[in-house]
Amino acid sequence: MSDSIMALMLGVSTFLGALGLIALLWGLRSGQFDDQAKFLDGARFDGEEELKDAVMMEKKKKEALEKKKKETAKKDYRPAD
Amino acid sequence: MARVPCTHCHLEFDESVMITEEENGKALHFCCKGCQGVYHLLKEEGLDTFYDKLGNQTLEPADRTREKKEDLERFDLEGFHKKYVRSTPEGLNEIHLIIEGIHCSACVWLNEKVLHQTPGVIEASINYSNNKAKVVWDPEQIRLSKIIETIRNIGYNAYPYDPALQEERAVKVRNDYYSRILVGVFATMNIMWIAIAQYAGYFTGMEKGHKNILNIAEFILATPTLFYSGWIFFRGAWYGLKNRFVNMDLLVAAGATLAYLYSIYAMITLEGEVYFDSVTMIITFVLVGKYLEVLSKRQAVDTLDKILGSMPTEATVVKDGEKALVSIENIEPGDLVELKPGEKVAVDGILRQGSALFDESPLTGESEPILKQEGDEILSGTVCLDSVVRYDATKRADESLLHQITELLGDAVTKKPRIEQLANVISGYFSVTILSIALLTFAGWLWHSGSFETALIVAISVIVIACPCALGLATPMATLMGISRAAKRGILFKEAAQLETMAKCDLLALDKTGTVTEGRPSVVSFQSFEGFDPKLLLSLVSGSNHPVSRGVARYLRERYPELRTLELENYKEIQAQGVRARYRDKEIAGGNAALMEALAVPVEVESRETLFLFAVDGKISAVIELRDRLKEGAFEAIATIKALGVKVVMLTGDHEAAAERIAMEAGIEESYARLLPQDKAELIDRFHDEGHRVVMAGDGINDAIALARSDIAIAMGSGADIAIEVSDVVLLEDRPADLADAFLVSRRTFRTVKQNLGFSILYNTVAVPLAVLGYVNPLVAALSMSLSSLFVVGNSMRIKLGVRNEE
Repeated sequence: MSDSIMALMLGVSTFLGALGLIALLWGLRSGQFDDQAKFLDGARFDGEEELKDAVMMEKKKKEALEKKKKETAKKDYRPAD
Repeated sequence: MARVPCTHCHLEFDESVMITEEENGKALHFCCKGCQGVYHLLKEEGLDTFYDKLGNQTLEPADRTREKKEDLERFDLEGFHKKYVRSTPEGLNEIHLIIEGIHCSACVWLNEKVLHQTPGVIEASINYSNNKAKVVWDPEQIRLSKIIETIRNIGYNAYPYDPALQEERAVKVRNDYYSRILVGVFATMNIMWIAIAQYAGYFTGMEKGHKNILNIAEFILATPTLFYSGWIFFRGAWYGLKNRFVNMDLLVAAGATLAYLYSIYAMITLEGEVYFDSVTMIITFVLVGKYLEVLSKRQAVDTLDKILGSMPTEATVVKDGEKALVSIENIEPGDLVELKPGEKVAVDGILRQGSALFDESPLTGESEPILKQEGDEILSGTVCLDSVVRYDATKRADESLLHQITELLGDAVTKKPRIEQLANVISGYFSVTILSIALLTFAGWLWHSGSFETALIVAISVIVIACPCALGLATPMATLMGISRAAKRGILFKEAAQLETMAKCDLLALDKTGTVTEGRPSVVSFQSFEGFDPKLLLSLVSGSNHPVSRGVARYLRERYPELRTLELENYKEIQAQGVRARYRDKEIAGGNAALMEALAVPVEVESRETLFLFAVDGKISAVIELRDRLKEGAFEAIATIKALGVKVVMLTGDHEAAAERIAMEAGIEESYARLLPQDKAELIDRFHDEGHRVVMAGDGINDAIALARSDIAIAMGSGADIAIEVSDVVLLEDRPADLADAFLVSRRTFRTVKQNLGFSILYNTVAVPLAVLGYVNPLVAALSMSLSSLFVVGNSMRIKLGVRNEE
């Protein structure tokens, strides 16, 4: 077996494994495993409507933050002398 | 009459008592107004798919009384916000709530859905397993009270908890370890199969190019393990050095780092072997062990939150003749507080008006309610049972007993200093010894051979061979066997190390009620006279909840299984005396001597036990003696424990006479009576100061602090949640015999651990000098490693076999 093929096989397999590991770590960090029941119920219950809900919540958060930003901007505003 | 399920909560009731209405030609049944309200609310909001998700599950009926408006105001008070609400960096508010009434995933769905639809709520997520919720909202759009009201409207209740109280930190630590272990395990698994190729190549020969590629692959895998997974050891070693002591972390970190650095050198120069596999394995295995330690600490936290959550948050304060609900943080000493039956006392005080029975079992564990009269002290955490009373607060809420207990518990749960200190001392000596041997070896070889490289290889092999891997198996293997053997008997050790600690203990402190005794008075003698009618007596006592009445009722039901109760009139419970009623033309009464005296019934009985007298028409018809009995096998178990050389003492909140009697029966020479929860804990501390190692066995909240303070805490399986949570050992069957068994198993296990350790030390004393002399090559190391492990495993198996022989 040539060196380069061995390096390629080792590299690809380790890389793919690492991708899986990173996905797992990301799931752990974002709290997806905190509640096992929710994890399964998501698969059981979540449909189009829940997706819409999630989008709605994100929108709500964005709006609230923008409003806050504007207000702080207003507060910071001082008319020129 | 047919039973039909409630359309909302699905509980079944008689159709006649249901509220019935019609909707689109379909009949709807509701068990109460609350359920009806929630059903229509969900329908209007378009959330009725909730019922599809609910399936056949039942709920608690929605409680309308929760919708009291005045109680909601406290959620907007400044003091409340200061305590529970946090600001996020974006300027939003965040609170952690415990949601009451969640039974199934559909409940979680409904709560989240409703909160999501509420304007101003930015984020809401509920954890099904512990019913905790995190809610983020925009304070300019909605007030917190409105959010709580929304949750209450759909039939649930929410109360806040303080996540800063360890919970969040504990979860964070756990997740952190988890990620690090994942990385470690991933790298170890991959490095293993690369290492197999390496070993094969070492013995059969391998091209330099191949070897180099394998080396590099191992290097890539070992690097994140050492620096990410192994970070915990570097940190631990650094903290240790800063505080001027050497610990196991330093040994692990030094061994792994040196092996890693040398391997890089070998990889670059293509001279010698790399040890990347050892690096990842040492780090991963020791890390898993550490993680298990962290896990065991976590469990207690949830229960603590539950206790705090059930603490009253407000009380009725009477000012200038007007009543007002005041948050307990705002109650000042001197305020007049009103208590209704069933309410929990929020702040300590002194009774001013009225008298009532108080259930002090949450504090003292004693089952009998205590009559408190004007001038008596009232303690927080106790429950007022039967009348409305008013009392003067004498302390602020945060100085009151209940608050202090929870604080103490919080402290005790997070640290068990004695055991940890000891472990640190031992591993410290071991680490120092190995590190100095390695250093001397390095110096010796450098001087002897003059080659820096050889000296480094030998020194590293010394550290690697002495790393906890070899010694590590000795204890866990034996304790694992001990634990599984104990578990078969219904004795659950929560942590392996506890077996060892327990074996070293020389004092057993027992709680009386529920541990040594059955915890409920039962009939020991029953004497009836002419005209005695068991039906009458049963009817009388089954109306009362007093433990004595319950004991009598239990006895009667056992003796006369067919007995039916009769309809009594004028039923009256007389505080701390007994009960009286009328049946047709008969006046009947049952209670203690004081009651009979009050009714002018002549009594000529005296007894050391609790006495229950039953009179019909002014004549004694039955005399019953009750006693809290010793548990079966308690005497034998205590004798066995004493034979092991363990001193046994008894701690109780009960009065001296009762304590002495039980102690005598159980064969305990030393007993301490009238102890409050802190007193018990102080006694445990005193035993510690006297040089004892203490095992404490108990079952109530009142024992929780003492349990947490002792070296080993044993809880009865039927005991209070908190007691079970803070304890190290749980006896599932509540048998005193298991207590003795726990001692036996722990001692046998400890003996095996000592044998194993002795062997491992022997192994180290042979292997380390060989390594020092430079004789260790990979083959010898691998063989001796697995052989020594096999020996340790085999020896540990003897715990199971040995005990079987004994039986």
